Amino acid sequence: MVPEITAILEVFLFPGFFFLFFLAFFIEWLDRKLVAKFQNRYGPLHVGPKGILQPVADFIKLLSKEDIKPAMADRVPFVAMPLLLLTLAMTPLFCIPITSSYALISFEGDLIVVMFLMTLIALLLFIGAWVSTNRFSTIGGVRAGLQMFGYEIPLNIAMIGPAIGAGSLSISEIVKWQSHGLWFILTQPLGFAILSICLLAHLQRVPFDIPEAETEIVSGWLVEFSGKKLALIRLARNFKLILAASLMASLYMGGPSGLWQPNPLTYFIKLVICVFILSNLRALFARYRIDQFLAGVWRYLTPLALLQISIIQVLTW
Amino acid sequence: MKTIKIPFGPQHPALEEPINFIFEVEEERVVNVKLRLGYIHRGIEKLAENRTYHQNVYLVERICGICSFAHTTCYTQAVEELLGIDIPERAKFIRTITAEMERVQNHYLWLGFTAKEAGFETLFMYTWRDRETILEVLETISGKRVNYGMNTIGGIRRDISDTMTEQIEDKLNHLENRSKYYKKICTKEQTILKRTVGVGILKPHDALSLCAVGPTLRASNIPRDVRADEPYAAYGEIPFKVITYKRHDVASRILVRIDETLESINIIRYALKNMPKGPIRVKVPQRVPKGEAVSRVEAPRGEDIYYLKSDGSDKPVRLKVRAPTLANLPSLCKMLIDVNIADIPVVIAGIDPCIACAERIMLVDTKTKKRWIWSGDELRRYACEWYRK
Amino acid sequence: MAMENELIKSLMKKPITLRFPNERAQPVERMRGKVTWKIEKCIGCTLCAKICPSEAVELIGEGRNAEIRYYIGRCLFCGECVDICPTEAIETTKEFELAFTQPKEMTLEFRRTKRNLESSRKK
Repeated sequence: MVPEITAILEVFLFPGFFFLFFLAFFIEWLDRKLVAKFQNRYGPLHVGPKGILQPVADFIKLLSKEDIKPAMADRVPFVAMPLLLLTLAMTPLFCIPITSSYALISFEGDLIVVMFLMTLIALLLFIGAWVSTNRFSTIGGVRAGLQMFGYEIPLNIAMIGPAIGAGSLSISEIVKWQSHGLWFILTQPLGFAILSICLLAHLQRVPFDIPEAETEIVSGWLVEFSGKKLALIRLARNFKLILAASLMASLYMGGPSGLWQPNPLTYFIKLVICVFILSNLRALFARYRIDQFLAGVWRYLTPLALLQISIIQVLTW
Repeated sequence: MKTIKIPFGPQHPALEEPINFIFEVEEERVVNVKLRLGYIHRGIEKLAENRTYHQNVYLVERICGICSFAHTTCYTQAVEELLGIDIPERAKFIRTITAEMERVQNHYLWLGFTAKEAGFETLFMYTWRDRETILEVLETISGKRVNYGMNTIGGIRRDISDTMTEQIEDKLNHLENRSKYYKKICTKEQTILKRTVGVGILKPHDALSLCAVGPTLRASNIPRDVRADEPYAAYGEIPFKVITYKRHDVASRILVRIDETLESINIIRYALKNMPKGPIRVKVPQRVPKGEAVSRVEAPRGEDIYYLKSDGSDKPVRLKVRAPTLANLPSLCKMLIDVNIADIPVVIAGIDPCIACAERIMLVDTKTKKRWIWSGDELRRYACEWYRK
Repeated sequence: MAMENELIKSLMKKPITLRFPNERAQPVERMRGKVTWKIEKCIGCTLCAKICPSEAVELIGEGRNAEIRYYIGRCLFCGECVDICPTEAIETTKEFELAFTQPKEMTLEFRRTKRNLESSRKK
């Protein structure tokens, strides 16, 4: 009985649903505060001590707003899309090791499942834009699809790099390998840089927030979602940010393992460092155009990713 | 290939003021543009006919919040020409100094606005933080941050004392360093260069034939500047350069404006050092003799023209305002053809739009597709008949 | 990458925003806020009412015992009345936080008492 109860508690409380929800709000606060500090202003300030409850306040406010459904939109996909997005964003987080070297769900090949779910998210954005039947969302959805063509291959190659180095396709095994050996960020720095850039494109943050460009097409693919649906989409965005930072921390920096036994505090510190890097990149650049993005990625990122893989193969010969 | 029509409507996050563009788009390239004005028409020219010349100074100031000093300078110059008086030398120098400070403030605001359109929020925050410095200087001299109330018919209302001159010097040095830093960023930062170089091309012969004005014209390599061609206030006595760049695109417009900021700081320094002493105001009569006057001024956005007609009483008969953005709108429509959708806000921001200045009437009968312009009497007759029904 | 230095420096500096209403900007010497009358100096010459660009000043009564009604909602804070008053009865204050909840509070009246000493505020 006791292992089952522990398992249920783990899934629901820590490091399961509850913990992930709190982490999502905390990471959104951290991201907003960091970007504000880079821009020489305060960021969230009043709700809770140092504004830490601001994302919760935003979420509750959006839940209470009016939910407008456009007359021409297809009803079932339009309503189901935010729920599916939230589910797809949360599920890969169960495969990331947080408390020990082994995650809640770990089996051989869960890295491939995580990559598959991330691709599904991008396709889901396109569907969400298509069923909104609005000019701006159509343009946003087309741009989301085009962007996926660009970053998909370098992203997957950069995630496979540590797998080749550790000799396994499970994230938990990669973390365990790093606790005995060198972190991959030291042996594959090029892969880390490519992973950061492609994750920025996957998360749709500046400089790659092209499908969602606020000043040009008024929020792109999510222009017709309002009220509860928008709240769920924003929550899904926070989960994607946690997923991206966790992947960077687990695959390249060793996850919860460090100087001591694997513990959640080390994981948390590495998560904060990765969020710092992502926020820094967000405050540093302007927004690219879609054709410049595609040209840049196919001309520079993909060859560099292939170069990295070749170097790894040569070194492990 | 079928085209879809995208409304860049009166409400849009990219626009500060309401204006309606309808773009016909074919897969991310713009094929055609249609423009509709009229969302912010306030009837200023009619209001000006019911107020005295002195009260009109304050009405004209509020045509636009950011180029307000240029509007009052133009108006008071027109009235002073009708009255036939000459304002004191010190007043001319203070008018020049305040006008150049307003130019600096406008260009900083514009730089942040363009950066925000390109998605660069950080530059937006930094430039607006530095703009606070020049607003503090203006507040020290005049008491207010916008709509200064410094100009009056016959001179200037507030003087610049010597303690103020020292404070102004420190802040001008700080602003000069920041302007040089922004120039370095705008020529070196790869993302800005990729968004602005080669975008929104306006060839010189198009610019001349479509009557572009201001930095938009000067970025197409045509050196026209009202301050140099027809010097007013104290510009005849202060040496300065007219800045042009050769690339005809948004990047040149950015560089023209940053260089103009540096040039303005030099003009302010020279004027502060060589300002003559004396009175700042002369008394003027209430009634203005009969006549017509046209006056031109280089507002931060371009050339501002005022036409004033008087008939001997203390209220004007007709005041006509031609603000610079109205002259740049046909060039904007030409620049927007064959541009990506993503570049539309950057190009619109490149001409520094101030739609509040730009509202005039032209009548189009959509049924018979005739266009005509009515004279004042015909308009009055139409209005009386319409109200009688 | 060109702005990276500036970003790292901004992390160390204090943010530039002022936390209103705990911190406020210092008003400068020449700042023009609301206008008040010293009613005992007023001689009823009506120059302030004539020169106001937006008709924010009205005289109640006529002659030497005239009193003033001042509409804050119409005032431009231009300071013309201050400049033109021959007895310097008008002065500018530095009050700029002038939002009211009732329209009646936007009208101030400066009245003379029997002994011509005080101005009173009508609510």
